Amino acid sequence: MLFGCIYAPDFPVQAALQDSPASFLASAVAVLDGPESLLKVVACNDPARAAGVAFGMTKLQAESCGEIRLQKRVIEHEESAQRALLDCVYKFSPRMESTAGGVVMVDLTGSSRLLGSAKEIGQALLHEAEAAGFTVNVAMAANPDAALHAARGFKALTVIAPGKEAATLGSLPIAVLEPPEEISEVLFHWGISDLQSLASLPMVPLTERLGQPGLHLQRLARGETQRELVPADPPLIFRENMELEEPVELLEPLAFLLNRLLEQAMYRLRERSLATDHVELELTLEVHPEQHLQADSPAATVTSQHQRTLKLPVPTQDARNLLKLLQLELNAHPPVAPVRKIAIEVFPVRSRSIQAGLFQPLAPEPVKLEITMARLRSVVGGEDAQGRERVGFAQTLDSHRPDSFAVLPSGFTADAQPASRRTCQLALRMFRPPLAARVTMREGSPATISFERTRTRVTRAGGPWRTTGAWWDQRGEWQRDEWDLELNYAGSVGLYRVFQDLLSGQWFVEGMYD
Amino acid sequence: MASLAIIRSQIESRLPGVLSPYVPPEPEMLLTGIHALDHKTGGIPKSGLTQICAPSGVPSGRTTLLLSLMQEVTKREEFCALVDASDCLHPASAEAAGVDMSRLLWVRCGGATGMRSLEQAFKAADIIVQNGGFGLIAVDLGNIQERLTRRIPLSTWFRFARVVEKMPTALVFLLGHPGAQSCSALTLHLAGGKAYWQCSQEVSHAHFLSGIEYGIEIGRAHMRKPVQSARFNARFTAKAVGV
Repeated sequence: MLFGCIYAPDFPVQAALQDSPASFLASAVAVLDGPESLLKVVACNDPARAAGVAFGMTKLQAESCGEIRLQKRVIEHEESAQRALLDCVYKFSPRMESTAGGVVMVDLTGSSRLLGSAKEIGQALLHEAEAAGFTVNVAMAANPDAALHAARGFKALTVIAPGKEAATLGSLPIAVLEPPEEISEVLFHWGISDLQSLASLPMVPLTERLGQPGLHLQRLARGETQRELVPADPPLIFRENMELEEPVELLEPLAFLLNRLLEQAMYRLRERSLATDHVELELTLEVHPEQHLQADSPAATVTSQHQRTLKLPVPTQDARNLLKLLQLELNAHPPVAPVRKIAIEVFPVRSRSIQAGLFQPLAPEPVKLEITMARLRSVVGGEDAQGRERVGFAQTLDSHRPDSFAVLPSGFTADAQPASRRTCQLALRMFRPPLAARVTMREGSPATISFERTRTRVTRAGGPWRTTGAWWDQRGEWQRDEWDLELNYAGSVGLYRVFQDLLSGQWFVEGMYD
Repeated sequence: MASLAIIRSQIESRLPGVLSPYVPPEPEMLLTGIHALDHKTGGIPKSGLTQICAPSGVPSGRTTLLLSLMQEVTKREEFCALVDASDCLHPASAEAAGVDMSRLLWVRCGGATGMRSLEQAFKAADIIVQNGGFGLIAVDLGNIQERLTRRIPLSTWFRFARVVEKMPTALVFLLGHPGAQSCSALTLHLAGGKAYWQCSQEVSHAHFLSGIEYGIEIGRAHMRKPVQSARFNARFTAKAVGV
């Protein structure tokens, strides 16, 4: 049997600093919790302890200890950090337990052939946790409780050989067992301060005086307990949150924060060999209450949430590309108020693995193309008056309505067939919107036409061809007579497609044959 | 002289080709699908800038030529990008010409972003060239007023020509006049066409436009040595669907 334990000391502090710059890690930090009027210290790191901060101090007392960085406890941060710790050990074994905040147990029985000796596995666990941004203690032992107490009591890596639990744990103080207060007091009065002293007490008199809890503590001290892990099966939710002390107004510092969240989310995806093609960004904005009071002001319509969604044609694990896309998206649709809270959720999918061929035709890289398209949208605009995208891959619609097409964000379809060979076809060059024209008729055919400050004679006309549609929809109904006209235009011959809107009677030049 | 030859042979034995003039490799050509043109020029050069010049307002065949070129490129399963400065592409025509629309990135300029269409088109072309991976990048400035395109500095054309020089991409501009001048590897002048009508009866709705014949003049093709300064003419006909 082999169990590993990862213990992150001062876990609330580490969770609070997960998204902070590295320079903050060495500074004195204390985490406060409780009602706003009575905030108390619930955790602090070693520099803060050295400065005199202690558990249970009020905010005022903590502030008087010197230059202490005080942070309010955010449960979402701790949950996110705990998920990150679980992801670290998931790489080694799926049999894991989320024992407590900052404590993760993993059953590594039978994995020595695959992962190496207990010491090697322990070092790998330590390295993984450090790569995820945690400072942890790791212990390896034949039973979970011994591993837990060793991780709580010893720094860095501890490997306990089977049968040596009592000897290794002996030097640890009683506090690592977290005994009930009354038992702790009795043991203190007996002069029992470490696990070795507790382990050497006679079993029967100890049970007579402290009951079953006392006996259990002694077995823990001897490293004799055995228990099954409560398996943790974390749901595949890759959501990263960050609550800011000061709201961010500019997009550049916001991008810095987004980068940290995306890096964290992508790290977790990579650990599970997953990727994402769908990212949702939710920004909680700081909208002043008085803005809502004035019902007539435009600010009254401002919502406190700003949501953006990214959908990619192919899954990716690249945080840098996603950040660029989010930046372009936010440039096109900036939040209307300072940002107070950021949440990013990435939806996992299986990562794409394609073997590129030597003779594969030239094609743009899909994710890079997505960024290019976002940049193009910022140059040419997002949508036209009909709500069609300005950048994308055109698709003609199954409709008789003239010039009906959609512009799709992605043209990468698996069933796309190479185009069949055609002869040289007559092409129409559109005028969008169509040019207004005036037409005079003679014997049922256009005789002259005026458009774009030019009046010219029609030398030949073909038509009319009448099309109607969407009569059930007042806004979308169309009725038109189309003509192909040959004109004397600019000293040459012009060939135009002209139509008369039968609902308004107005003539338009739709396009030119070219 | 003998000693010079000895020195030369000794240098070239260690550094082969160092004293020989650089002969650039023959450029890869993209077929346009128009036999008359392909026969004369071998197609459109990759890694070079091609300008297709035609007067606006009259049928010249530039759109037909462009769609035919895009059809050939997408048929090779390569990707095309079309920067459409005046949003004039007719997707149904492109589809009828055989263009694989799922391989054609269409950029429709003219959105309200505080820039003119011409400026948008050049910025968009720049972004697409940077992205790479396209077999053909076409910039349609055919409907932009000539007085505006004449203001484009030669350095802009030069920059585009130099950038695509190292890329397996054909860069094609549709213009009203040959603005790129010596920066273009190939210049085509397209002229007004002659329309063909089918009419079985005197009534106008029995008249059908069956095709247009266009003329092409090859103005400059310096991708092949020696530079073709002489002008060649060719003609092609575009037919209506079903004819």
